[in-house]
Amino acid sequence: MSNAYLTYAGKRLGQAVIVILLAYIFTFVVVSILPGDPITSVLRNPQNGFSEQEIAEIIAAQGLDQPVLVQLWHSLSAFLTGDLGMSMRSNRPVATLIAEVLSSTLILASSGLAVALFLAFTVAYGTQVVPKKYGQGLLRAFPSLFLSTPNFVIGLFLIHLFGFQLRLFRVIEPDGFWATFFAAITIGIPFSAQIAEVLIANLDHEAEQDYAAVARSRGIAPRRLFATHLLKPAALPVVTVIALTVGELLGNSLITETVFGRTGIGSLVQRSVSTQDLPVLQAIVSLGAVIFVLVNLIADLLYPLLDPRVKIVVGRKRRHAAADDAALGLEAGAKP
Amino acid sequence: MASQIALNTAPPRTDFKGPALVQARPLLKVRNLSISYGRQQVVHDVGFDIGHGESLALIGESGSGKSTIAKAVLRLLPNGATASGQVVFDEQDILSLSERRFRPLRGRDIGFVPQDPGNALNPVRTIGSQALEAAALTDERHPAARKALILETFAKVGLDNPQRVYESYPHQLSGGMLQRVLIALAILPRPSLLVADEPTSALDVTIQKRILELLSRLQEELDISLLLITHDLAIAGERAGSLVVLKGGVVQEAGRTSAVFSSPTSPYARKLHADVPALNPDRYAKLRDPGFARLADDRQAKISVEGVTKRFSVDGKVLTAVDDLSFSVAAGTTHALVGESGSGKTTTIRLLLALEEPESGSIRVSHDTVTSPGVSSLRSVWRHLQLVYQNPFTSLDPSWKVEQLIREPLDRFRIGSAAERSAAVQEALANVGLSADLLQRKPSALSGGQRQRVAIARALVLKPDVIVLDEPTSALDVSVQADIVEVLLSLQAKLGLTYVFVSHDLALVRQLAHTVSVMQRGRIVEHGTVHEIFGKPKHDYTLSLLSSIPSVRGEKVSAPAVRRVAQKELAL
Repeated sequence: MSNAYLTYAGKRLGQAVIVILLAYIFTFVVVSILPGDPITSVLRNPQNGFSEQEIAEIIAAQGLDQPVLVQLWHSLSAFLTGDLGMSMRSNRPVATLIAEVLSSTLILASSGLAVALFLAFTVAYGTQVVPKKYGQGLLRAFPSLFLSTPNFVIGLFLIHLFGFQLRLFRVIEPDGFWATFFAAITIGIPFSAQIAEVLIANLDHEAEQDYAAVARSRGIAPRRLFATHLLKPAALPVVTVIALTVGELLGNSLITETVFGRTGIGSLVQRSVSTQDLPVLQAIVSLGAVIFVLVNLIADLLYPLLDPRVKIVVGRKRRHAAADDAALGLEAGAKP
Repeated sequence: MASQIALNTAPPRTDFKGPALVQARPLLKVRNLSISYGRQQVVHDVGFDIGHGESLALIGESGSGKSTIAKAVLRLLPNGATASGQVVFDEQDILSLSERRFRPLRGRDIGFVPQDPGNALNPVRTIGSQALEAAALTDERHPAARKALILETFAKVGLDNPQRVYESYPHQLSGGMLQRVLIALAILPRPSLLVADEPTSALDVTIQKRILELLSRLQEELDISLLLITHDLAIAGERAGSLVVLKGGVVQEAGRTSAVFSSPTSPYARKLHADVPALNPDRYAKLRDPGFARLADDRQAKISVEGVTKRFSVDGKVLTAVDDLSFSVAAGTTHALVGESGSGKTTTIRLLLALEEPESGSIRVSHDTVTSPGVSSLRSVWRHLQLVYQNPFTSLDPSWKVEQLIREPLDRFRIGSAAERSAAVQEALANVGLSADLLQRKPSALSGGQRQRVAIARALVLKPDVIVLDEPTSALDVSVQADIVEVLLSLQAKLGLTYVFVSHDLALVRQLAHTVSVMQRGRIVEHGTVHEIFGKPKHDYTLSLLSSIPSVRGEKVSAPAVRRVAQKELAL
């Protein structure tokens, strides 16, 4: 682990923290300028049956009578110490509410990712080793097919076939392996398409490179060529694709939870939005930002370790043909 | 004998009996080979033999089908290509073998040295891991023994620190080193045939020379047959026992190298021969030589560069790209800057065009000082000094028509009325020998030579005094190069233009320059008239550059001093 790498990692970590803070502030501002006032719509809602005294207590406890900037300050400092506040509706800590459902969503999202990776790599492998006459074209059509099918349609289809017809899992209050498995497939299919498209394009590109021809001229068989030569350079950009689409993965998990009737972050979001439970919303959006930033941070930190060509340069000022010319001069100085 | 060779235009020759053709069982026998990509046939009925230990060069320009033939021999033709005819290697027809039967021959019997070493090794794997693939083709079973064999072969091809090379990734080595690695990997399983597809065209000239020497030496030592693909007639003449000259996929001429060189029979071979700069040093003497008189008339140097230094800091290190550079160019003459990559040529051009500012020193073009710029004087500099860029395939905006491309500088400088501008465009186009029909075309509808003419017309339209030519022919075929050089020299004679000609091609410089500066690592190591530099070179680096000009086997005309350097490098 070189010094340059540690400097780079420290810098990226600092940037990540700043992005998370900004995301928190941005969410707070957006939530507070949303139309509708939580005090009138939630607390004074006759259905909830709060008395005037209770309402006053909640307002004081949440600090809703304070100026927005003061509210932001309290909220942000609490967030930094790990305190996510209290739900307005249920009067329970937000952290507890989220903790109850988070694991379910994380399991769903990560198994969705696993399914997506498996599908993408399988299809991509097929496009490289299946001959044209045995259906390579069909394999190549999969990503666009997957990408153009909305995932709730896939979900409803799977529920119908495996839930109602084959009765592999309960449709009401589903749990157990099969329920998670089919929900993961629902998420994984569209996601796999994005990965597969990048992967196939990269594999085709790598397969056309001179080094692939040279390796073949050494008698490397197609499957070994795929495994030992093409896979790694083609798969490296997939790290970036995964990092960039992780937000989408979380979003799709929420939809899929609704389709499959699972409890998870999705149902919590739905409840909080409909009741304007601002602390919960603020916490969930911030959590999403934290996850997104973390995943991208990990991708950025991994990349230089995975790809030997990526050189970390600290404090690079500018680079152009003339500088390259000069740099080459140094190299040419070494005896070829 | 000659009936074995498909001769489409030339009458059959009966006067040569090279060893390649008398061997009863040649190692590689190609007969009636035709190759098509889809419906387009690119190779027509080609035939040739390579005997054991013999070398044969396939020569041709782009589109001649030479690389396609090489790929057919290697069975690396892309999907969609179909080949008919026979390619018989060691009694087996490669074209009709199944892939499973052919694979054991790959590497073990037929080795491949590719064109661009920078792209011929997997960028994310170490050299060693790829070398082990080649070592796996040998009889050596033990991993340690395989590694030892690899290191030994690396040493044999002239790599200084085999262990370091073994552990390196491709991007950590220079192009010359990578080509040595690739040659090492190709010869490691001791193949009987080596196919080298333009093995040096991506390399600097002095390295090119060394790589070719290495190939010849290994070919002799290991008794390997060599199929050399090249666009460079001079290289082929120097390296191959026999030649096949191709054009448009058709054999124009074939035979022993010495015979083809001494008496080419086909018109195409004769033209190719006449167009190769290395073989015709005095081809443009008539057009160029009047310019020497202007050198003496030294009242007014068109360009003068004095004590210019430029440094860059890259990755925290300071690199001196150009170091105390001084030269001057007399009006109406051509000054060549020669040197290899990293010698500072590009930086010098950028400084001349005021795209970079030097740390010290001064540059004057005509009466304008390029250094210490004000915007108005820079505009004047740019008006009088134009650049023709290296690669016409990338230097012209593909969405513009020729007319727009040439007119743009006039629009930019707001010169003349619309009618005058279009007249100027027409004149510039006529000056480079293009017809006005092309005005409405886009670059994609032009050939490489036409594109470069458009680029020259574009530089001419402002009526500049000085044109900087940055390797203006290096992306072009040799016959196209000859046309462009002819255009440039007639323009100089007609309009009195001053050229700064940047090139790594010494043979070309010898044909067209009046004065030469030889650059190495940012410094001018030697300068003088073209006759002084080529006739009485003083600096070692100049000598090694000169020795890189190929000369035909048995026809060495180089000075004894040049020979000595060549010997020294051979020993390397």
